[in-house]
Amino acid sequence: MNINRVAKTIVFAVVTSSFSTAALAEPSVEELAERLERMQQEMDQLKQQLKNSATKDEVQVIKKDVATAGEWLQPDTLIHMAGYADVGYTDSESEDGSFNVGTFAPIFHFQYRDLVMLESELEFEVGDDGETETNLEYLTIDWFINDYMVLVGGKFLSPVGQFRQNLHPSWINKLPSAPPGFGHDGAAPVSDVGFQLRGGFPIGAIRTNYAVYISNGPELIAEFEDGEFELDGVEAEGFGSDGDGEKVVGGRLGIIPFSGFELGLSAASGKATVTSIEDGDSSTLSDEGARDYDVIGADFSWHYKAFNLRGEYVETEVGADTGSGTAASEGATWETWYTQGAYRFNQSNWELVARYTDFDSPHNSQDQQQWAIGTNYLFTNNFIGKLSYEFNDGQAGSDADQDRFLFQMAYGF
Amino acid sequence: MNILIWKSVSTLSKRTALLLLTALVIQPLYALDYPEEGDFAQGTKAWSENCARCHNMRSPSDLRDDQWVTSVFHMRVRAGLTGQEARDILTFLQGSNARVENIDPGQVESTTTDSASISGKQIYESNCLACHGANGKGSIPGVPDFNEKNGRLSKSDSELLSNIITGIQSPGSSMPMPPRGGNSQLSDTDLNAALKYIKASFSE
Repeated sequence: MNINRVAKTIVFAVVTSSFSTAALAEPSVEELAERLERMQQEMDQLKQQLKNSATKDEVQVIKKDVATAGEWLQPDTLIHMAGYADVGYTDSESEDGSFNVGTFAPIFHFQYRDLVMLESELEFEVGDDGETETNLEYLTIDWFINDYMVLVGGKFLSPVGQFRQNLHPSWINKLPSAPPGFGHDGAAPVSDVGFQLRGGFPIGAIRTNYAVYISNGPELIAEFEDGEFELDGVEAEGFGSDGDGEKVVGGRLGIIPFSGFELGLSAASGKATVTSIEDGDSSTLSDEGARDYDVIGADFSWHYKAFNLRGEYVETEVGADTGSGTAASEGATWETWYTQGAYRFNQSNWELVARYTDFDSPHNSQDQQQWAIGTNYLFTNNFIGKLSYEFNDGQAGSDADQDRFLFQMAYGF
Repeated sequence: MNILIWKSVSTLSKRTALLLLTALVIQPLYALDYPEEGDFAQGTKAWSENCARCHNMRSPSDLRDDQWVTSVFHMRVRAGLTGQEARDILTFLQGSNARVENIDPGQVESTTTDSASISGKQIYESNCLACHGANGKGSIPGVPDFNEKNGRLSKSDSELLSNIITGIQSPGSSMPMPPRGGNSQLSDTDLNAALKYIKASFSE
């Protein structure tokens, strides 16, 4: 009996408690409406935030745009700077080793659509005396006439051969030095001032490229040695005026019969006049007549996978005096050639280079035969460390006879 | 009118001068607009055949699109390229200069699921051959030899496909392979077809 009462009491208490708890937890209609309103406001705020924020896809598009955006939208006129620089160390048999800043050569491009481009390369060098030398290596306005012709006007790199016009930048040249005879005052012309027509065209499966030019031409230097005047050198470095009024015409034809091989033939012809005396008084010159000036050249390049073989020959001939000048009656010939092989190890940044050069000039002290061997490490394809050793054979005691060790770091940009 | 003009220039020298002047005036008009758009596949071939004639190959990702414009026109003058070759090379370089990023192969998303529109052989020949060569041995320095035992093709198909899709910088290679071989138009299915052709042709 008591048990039944107790059980009934417990059941009643539990049920009552449950009802009362439910009644207490149940919100009122007003509260529910208020909550709903708050939620609606929060939802509106979130919707607004969502409207103002970018989607994942939009972020990706923006990221891509930022990554590819230039400093300005691509207009008709484009401005770009390229170039190269090198620093190094040279140690020869006759001189103590010294660090050197080779060259800083910025190249500026200003282009208007596909019609015209202004190109200019400046060259800054620090001389042995610490002075900075500045040169205008070239400055041309290139008019893209059509798909096969470009008219180039101004001071341009000589198209005779390949080294001067395409291979001399230090990040391209596989050795720290230029082959003897291909530098300044060598056998190969460096630059000229005038107009040039360049381009390329296919002949069936054979591709060709060409350059023909007319220019002011070079000037000649004489020297007084052993009691008489001799021709000392040809300054073919782009004179801004033509003292003798005699123009030079020349050019190069390149033939690519199959991919990886190119053969080039070059020639130039005109007149040149003695205008200065090396380490002497140029005012003593008189009645100098324009002499014959002729250049012939040939070059080749062959690539097979990681192996590259190239070579180049240039001969510059200056005729005898045609008048009654005081400088020198005899003519002179400068001749040089080199062959260079380079091999880059497969899947490696190391490259081996070997080059042989034979330079003959009218002066025995300048004649030189050179073997140059080198090892290059390509940090990137345009940042290269070069170590080389030159075995030089020239007139005993002359600079041309001194073996050299060279180190160079070159960067093309 | 034309006859009148022609009669007014009676001498041969005047006619020659007129013809030259006409030619000079007309020719620039051709240069104002591209006669033909650049072709990506031709550009790949022209790039691999011409640039190494003088210097080490530069990676397409070295420069932005606008920088490549001036660089290619500069090289057109230097290398004696035709205008069409220059446009082809520019199309290739601008289409291939996306940066190669290290992406987890598992995160590579498929862009399309349709079947390849052209055969793997055609895709290889149009997009890959210039660098990898017809025999798969590589035609420019740094490109791996597909024929090597335990070489590049010994990797799993999924890893190889991932590398093709995202691009890859191989250790010791002079430049990275651009994403999708440089041709963003190729779908994953196209690339898979090219991979099957590569493995069938060179891995044995």
